[in-house]
Amino acid sequence: MRTPVLEIDRLDLGYATRAGTAAALRDVSLSVAAGESVGIVGESGCGKSTLLKAVMGVMPPNATIETGAIRFMGTDLVTAGPEVWRRARWSGIAMIAQSALNALNPVKRVSAQIAEAIRAHEDWPRDKLRARIVELFEMVGVDPARIDDFPHQFSGGMRQRVLIAMALALRPPVLLADEPTTALDVIVQNQIFRRLDALRKELGFAMLLVTHDLGLVIENCERIVVMYGGMIVEAGPTAQVIGASGHPYTLGLYNALPRLGAGVEPISIPGRPPDLVAPPPGCRFAGRCPFAQPRCTTAPPLNRLGADHVARCHRSDEMAVLRPDARLAETWERGAPVPDTIDTGSIEGI
Amino acid sequence: MGRFVLRRLLHMAITFFAMITLMFFLFRMLPGDPTATVISPALDADARAAMQARFGLDRPLIEQYFVYLASLARLDFGLSFRTSRPVWELIELRLVNTLLLILPSMIAAYVIGAIGGALMAWYRGGRAEGSLVLAATALQSAPVFWLGMLAILVFSIWLDWFPTGHIVTPGRFPEPSWRMYLTLDFLHHLALPFLVNTLYNLCFPLLLMRSTMLSTIGEDYVELARMKGLRERQVLYGHAMRNSLLPLATTLPMILGWSVAGSVVIETVFSWPGLGLLMIEGITRSDYPVVQGAFLLIAVLTILGTFVADLLYGLLDPRIVYR
Ligand SMILES: Nc1ncnc2c1ncn2[C@@H]1O[C@H](COP(=O)(O)OP(=O)(O)OP(=O)(O)O)[C@@H](O)[C@H]1O
Ligand code: SF4
Ligand SMILES: [Mg+2]
Repeated sequence: MRTPVLEIDRLDLGYATRAGTAAALRDVSLSVAAGESVGIVGESGCGKSTLLKAVMGVMPPNATIETGAIRFMGTDLVTAGPEVWRRARWSGIAMIAQSALNALNPVKRVSAQIAEAIRAHEDWPRDKLRARIVELFEMVGVDPARIDDFPHQFSGGMRQRVLIAMALALRPPVLLADEPTTALDVIVQNQIFRRLDALRKELGFAMLLVTHDLGLVIENCERIVVMYGGMIVEAGPTAQVIGASGHPYTLGLYNALPRLGAGVEPISIPGRPPDLVAPPPGCRFAGRCPFAQPRCTTAPPLNRLGADHVARCHRSDEMAVLRPDARLAETWERGAPVPDTIDTGSIEGI
Repeated sequence: MGRFVLRRLLHMAITFFAMITLMFFLFRMLPGDPTATVISPALDADARAAMQARFGLDRPLIEQYFVYLASLARLDFGLSFRTSRPVWELIELRLVNTLLLILPSMIAAYVIGAIGGALMAWYRGGRAEGSLVLAATALQSAPVFWLGMLAILVFSIWLDWFPTGHIVTPGRFPEPSWRMYLTLDFLHHLALPFLVNTLYNLCFPLLLMRSTMLSTIGEDYVELARMKGLRERQVLYGHAMRNSLLPLATTLPMILGWSVAGSVVIETVFSWPGLGLLMIEGITRSDYPVVQGAFLLIAVLTILGTFVADLLYGLLDPRIVYR
């Protein structure tokens, strides 16, 4: 295994809410090697953005990192203090935020917005700054004559490219991308992904790509991390996670993927994610899992299935047997077999 | 940008013209013969006719209107009924006095309001912030004359820190002159009305800035600014506060009108010899040319302020289209 640039170690994060503390991240461990591309998938609300923001150290005021470490190049940013974390942002770990449309400040020229990111870390003369911005624009495929434009003068796709240019300004070893193309149409989306992938190979940064589009991750990432209800339920090399899934939720996500011309209808997973304030006592997926058993009311361990492949399920070693069943729509429609004994913890009737 | 300024100038000219016209006809429609305040109606008709001829009141209304326009262009506001001296002479220093009171207090109110409101939102949730919001809301709904009188009662009468009114100690300058502005005595007189006016004007920008900031803080670009590794100060001043200034600039023209109206009251309470007080004096003495002149200048100030505020907004927000 390559040396990790980013290591998230048993991270627990809670949001203080009126109803109590929402356990938004529980026991999240993840290491990203230099130059590697890792995809994080999971339904809306499973904690993907929360995880990335925690890594950036830019969390909403009601969030607290309860335990765990976030190590960048060996330094734990959580305990190192805010100034160390601030320096690591952008120069070490940069991020392409979820909404390209609102992430740029509408009243500032984009050149100024890129320049201020650089100057927050390095003291460059003006002409070097401008030369770098021109270079960045060329890199992402936007006309460098437009560096002094305002955000509203760009189309959505171009703004996204500007954000990528901004993220790469200081050649960070790690790039986080939170649904970088959700607001864009499919064609632009593809162009941007191809550009991002080419840049990654050329510049050698590691990329952590967050999306709820499993297909995108299968195409673009070497490793997949599947999240459910604030926890990592499965992680491993793409081929193994897809070809030899160790968790029913991963199988469900794969079923839900639309496949052109394959003659298979996408199957969705009925039910909704667990309530994070009062999560079910055992497996967080138990309320929706067609393979749930009485023992699933106790927390499943993180089983090691391969060199770098883990899954958090009591029955992960039986998956080879269960997989054919999991491909059938009836299995999922049936839902959890013993709903009365398993407390889903979700709020009913909303 | 050049065309934008030209367009705004044109707008201003049209507003100005409409205002003058409206005022001219409004004042003509006032009941009663203006000469009646100078010459008793009981006097013979000949003397009144002569008087009317002297002020041009015997001409057709429309002709009077054009004569009025022509004289305005020469800064000729006519003669005061009471003193028979040119109105402009009376107005000139009054205008300066009003500007010296309004401008610094508007600027102070906006600067303190913007920074204070921004900081209140930035450090939201504290007990100090809560009581400040309460105080500002209460202050905003307090009538300004009451505020002025309260200030006089406390700081002039009880504590005896400041004079109760006037621009300099009465009798120090028998004839008003430019030299009086260079004295400490002037500043001493200015302090209390300035303070009351600033306090009165402060609440609106303070509360507006606070609420705008509260929503700006949650914007994605503020979060991105932080992710870029900017220092908190830079995020606060360079992004959150910078963008929250926009609503402050849009409401400036409205507040300007409001504040000018408020200053009439403040001038009256503090016997501050400005345009507002001049207007009130003119009204009580039925000295229409003086009232009209003061009224006109107050309107001009408001229109000019609106123009400046518009330009300012154009500078602050690149998204507005300069057409
Ligand atoms: N500031 C907050 N306070 C309380 N709860 C929050 C806060 N931010 C997020 N949450 C909750 O935390 C959970 C995870 O949210 P997060 O935004 O990380 O999800 P996500 O996986 O990024 O979803 P999406 O795909 O919709 O972007 C959700 O249940 C959400 O409601
Ligand atoms: S632990 Fe049980 S409930 Fe959870 S995913 Fe595995 S089988 Fe399903
Ligand atoms: Mg998200």
